[in-house]
Amino acid sequence: MIELKSLSRRYRSDEIETTALHDVSLTIRQGEFVAIMGPSGCGKSTLLNILGTIDRPTEGRYLFDGEDLTARSEAALAQHRAQRLGFIFQSFNLVDDLTIAENIELGLLYRKGRQGSRRALVEAAMDRVGVGHRARHFPHQLSGGQQQRAAIARAIVGEPSLILADEPTGNLDTENGAQVMEILKGLNAAGATIVMVTHSPSHADQAGRRIDILDGRLVASVAQAI
Amino acid sequence: MLRSILVAFWRSFTRRPLYAALNLLGLSLGVAAFLTLSLLYRFETSYETWTPEHSRIYAAGVAYNFPGFSRATRVGAMGGLLEEMKADYPDVRGVRDWSQAVTVHKGAVATGEQMELVDPEFLDFFQTPLLAGDARTALADPGRVAISEDLARKYFGGTDVIGRTLDVTDSEGRATYTVSAVIKALPKNSELKLDLLRRLPVERTAKEQAWHHWGSLQLFTFFKFDRPEQARALEAQLPAFVDRRVGRTFGDDVVPHEMLALKFVPLRDVHLLDAKQRAAVDTLGVVGIVALVLALINYVNLATARAGLRAREVAVRKALGAGPGALRTQFLGEAASTIALAFLVGLAVVELALPLINAAGGLSLSLDYRRDGAWVAGVFGVVLAAGLLAAVYPAFMLAAFKPAQVLASSRAPSGGRFGARLREALVVCQFAAVVAAFVLMLGFLGQIRHMQEADLGYRRDGLYLVLSTRRVGVTPEQRNAFWETVRRIPGVTAVTASSNAPADDDFNSNSTAHRLDRGAPPEMATTLNVSSIGPDYFQVLEGRLVAGRMLDAQHGGDEQYNPKATPDTVTNVVISREAAKVLQYASPEAALDQLLDFGGRKVRVVGVAEDMRFYSPMEKVPARIYFFSGLPAWWPADWPITMVRYSGMDEAAMRARLETAWRQAAPGAPFEGKTALANLDRYYKPQRDRSNLFSLGAAAGAGIGCIGLYGLAAFNTSRRAREVGLRKVLGASSPQVARLLVGQFLRPILIACLIAWPLSWWALRRWLAQFDDPIGIGPGIFLAGAAAALAIGLATVGGLGWAAASTSPGKALRSE
Repeated sequence: MIELKSLSRRYRSDEIETTALHDVSLTIRQGEFVAIMGPSGCGKSTLLNILGTIDRPTEGRYLFDGEDLTARSEAALAQHRAQRLGFIFQSFNLVDDLTIAENIELGLLYRKGRQGSRRALVEAAMDRVGVGHRARHFPHQLSGGQQQRAAIARAIVGEPSLILADEPTGNLDTENGAQVMEILKGLNAAGATIVMVTHSPSHADQAGRRIDILDGRLVASVAQAI
Repeated sequence: MLRSILVAFWRSFTRRPLYAALNLLGLSLGVAAFLTLSLLYRFETSYETWTPEHSRIYAAGVAYNFPGFSRATRVGAMGGLLEEMKADYPDVRGVRDWSQAVTVHKGAVATGEQMELVDPEFLDFFQTPLLAGDARTALADPGRVAISEDLARKYFGGTDVIGRTLDVTDSEGRATYTVSAVIKALPKNSELKLDLLRRLPVERTAKEQAWHHWGSLQLFTFFKFDRPEQARALEAQLPAFVDRRVGRTFGDDVVPHEMLALKFVPLRDVHLLDAKQRAAVDTLGVVGIVALVLALINYVNLATARAGLRAREVAVRKALGAGPGALRTQFLGEAASTIALAFLVGLAVVELALPLINAAGGLSLSLDYRRDGAWVAGVFGVVLAAGLLAAVYPAFMLAAFKPAQVLASSRAPSGGRFGARLREALVVCQFAAVVAAFVLMLGFLGQIRHMQEADLGYRRDGLYLVLSTRRVGVTPEQRNAFWETVRRIPGVTAVTASSNAPADDDFNSNSTAHRLDRGAPPEMATTLNVSSIGPDYFQVLEGRLVAGRMLDAQHGGDEQYNPKATPDTVTNVVISREAAKVLQYASPEAALDQLLDFGGRKVRVVGVAEDMRFYSPMEKVPARIYFFSGLPAWWPADWPITMVRYSGMDEAAMRARLETAWRQAAPGAPFEGKTALANLDRYYKPQRDRSNLFSLGAAAGAGIGCIGLYGLAAFNTSRRAREVGLRKVLGASSPQVARLLVGQFLRPILIACLIAWPLSWWALRRWLAQFDDPIGIGPGIFLAGAAAALAIGLATVGGLGWAAASTSPGKALRSE
């Protein structure tokens, strides 16, 4: 599904050049649940951002279902995200001014073509993560765990082929973290491909494969029994 | 997408009411000021559009080129111009309008009215809207009159009055006229006063000498052309026409069209023909635009400042597939919604404030949505377009945020150094406008006070003017009886009559004079304004003699009406100080006993009087020559105006006594009088009204500036909360931190002063240039303007700065 070929990402400020990713090659198959681990600043989030097409590699190629995304236009990448990707963030990133239902609807808003009844899809997504009763509430009225479940609902409402989760349990307590992991595993079992960045070894162990990154280099890729 | 835009728009009001209120209030104030001044501008620039023929009609105008006389075009013509034009250009179409003061009698009550003597085709020519009657025939018969619906209600209690009669005294005597047409009320923005119209008795007036007096502005003559180029083509022939028709009337060596230029003034331009008036209206239009621009600057400032707070939302939307186009549409849509709401609020403010604005500006503006719907929609279009243009920057700035960077950062982006500089530059612009407005306001008020308090050369208080003595139909005996009675009123110290009075220029006659001690070279001639004065004239006005003596009945040579006069008879005159100057006498004393030729009449200067400003403060005090007559009661009907000097009595009591005296002396004629102060106010009121309007606009601008400054200060202070905490941890005191926070907003205000001062100096100098006696521009008003802006700025941000500085460091450090 995903193929990264010799991918590098460098950032240049006034005087300093920082290499966030260095010659990374990676293949992720349809239906995989991949956990990416590594210390802070090693390039995990950069890799996830490139996979999510909200950042571009400096060198190398990024193929998605055989399609090269490296040189695609901003508008094309935006449609790619709208149609195929779902994002889950550590700090939830729900829009403060929108209700939970409206936040989840954002996952459908920018898709082209007929979408049928958005309301029905939103309600179904909310029910899947157990926040249906909070539809009309605003994010600040929900607990952290509920907010993250709402964010997951937003990521899955469009039934994307790839879900990208950036430390989805980082801001949650153990119980809520476990609940989120259960939801992610359920989604994977239902066929979703998931790439998750995490600092938690126990959560990484629940993925089908674990990739370790150090100083921008991919140092290990280990398949795990779930 | 539309739903998403409306939801975001609605939530911005419900979730951040302060920001939304500041934004809406600023925009609404700007829209209200823009709407009001647009209404005013439309009112002032759409005079006479009530007639469907307005684009085809031109008024005859004259520009004189006499020495010492203004060369500005004046609307008006001698009575016989139309006949002379028709004789040379048979296809020309025109009508005349000659206003006359008449008396309408209803039972024992006599009321003064203005009658228009017009050509019979006048109503049809203008396609005057009628409630009843036939425009083509209504004035064919000299015994008929057309009246306005207001006059119909006043005298008959309704508008169904065709065939009813009116009893009128005019210059031809008292007669009864049958109403043949009722004219619909014309809008207030019309110079034509079509209340009472009768056919112009050309068969009589054409025999009068003044009817063909080239140079007189006896009445209004209107011409109609199908196309503008026809008007221009005929206008090009007018110099030759003037030369042909005037012949040698102006002298053997004079080319007539060089002395007198005939013009066709488009009907719509008549109202604002005076360049100073036009400039005043244009200035108010510009103030409206500036108010809107200030409000839009506010919008941009607040929107870009708040953009940082929406950066994370933008990043999330982008991650979820929103392209830059969709985001720009979203933010521009939100801006359009805000502007639309601000327009509605602004419209409501205008509706509520119109009575106040009308009172302050001496206006009669109104909004009628059935009539003005298209105009309101047009103004909305302009505001929306300007608003969207202003919203482009914040929309593009927001849409350009990089989601990966924003999501990785713990701080919201602020638009970078460029964004901060832009916001500061915009605040500088706003406050420059506020400082300039304050300076100009102070300048205007200073000049208006100066006009009302300056020495006019005579005492303007305690002076009553009675205009009734020159009303048609009033006999010399009635005038004399009135004056005798008035002299006996306790408190009246002196009474006189003259052809001119303060702020009364109905009788305005000028002629050329040259010194006989220098021969008679035409290039030495100058124009003098004539005043005919009765006994005690200078005593009543408390005018000052500079040299020589006053005119009186005791000196035989002072009387201007001498039945035994020959061409060599010399009449004694007094001239004004300005006249002595323009006649180039070395001093006022040097003018004494000198002989002048004045319009072909030999006169001797026996006195020089101080200049007296009777007319507009915007006009130069004319060089004047005074002719004396001991028997003003026998002057021509429209000359003698009565001036009464009184003391120890208030204005109302004086009026009551004068009115009683008038009713005894002339029971069949209405009383018409007012104080000199009230009469002079017609010159000051337009300035005062415009100054009031400008002040309202400036106050709106200052309000908008303060709202913008407050919004920005609130935003920046909240962004610096963590820094405040750190500084306090490191030992800064609350006053030190408050000074730091407030100081950052004083800098743009001080820069604004440096920009505003030269601009306002230039604008004020230009404005003052229109006055004959302007105030000096000292540094005081610039410092006062800056101080006012600074005080407003301090009051706006001081509280915020102090509140932020007083926050405990622990709480401040936990922010963000």
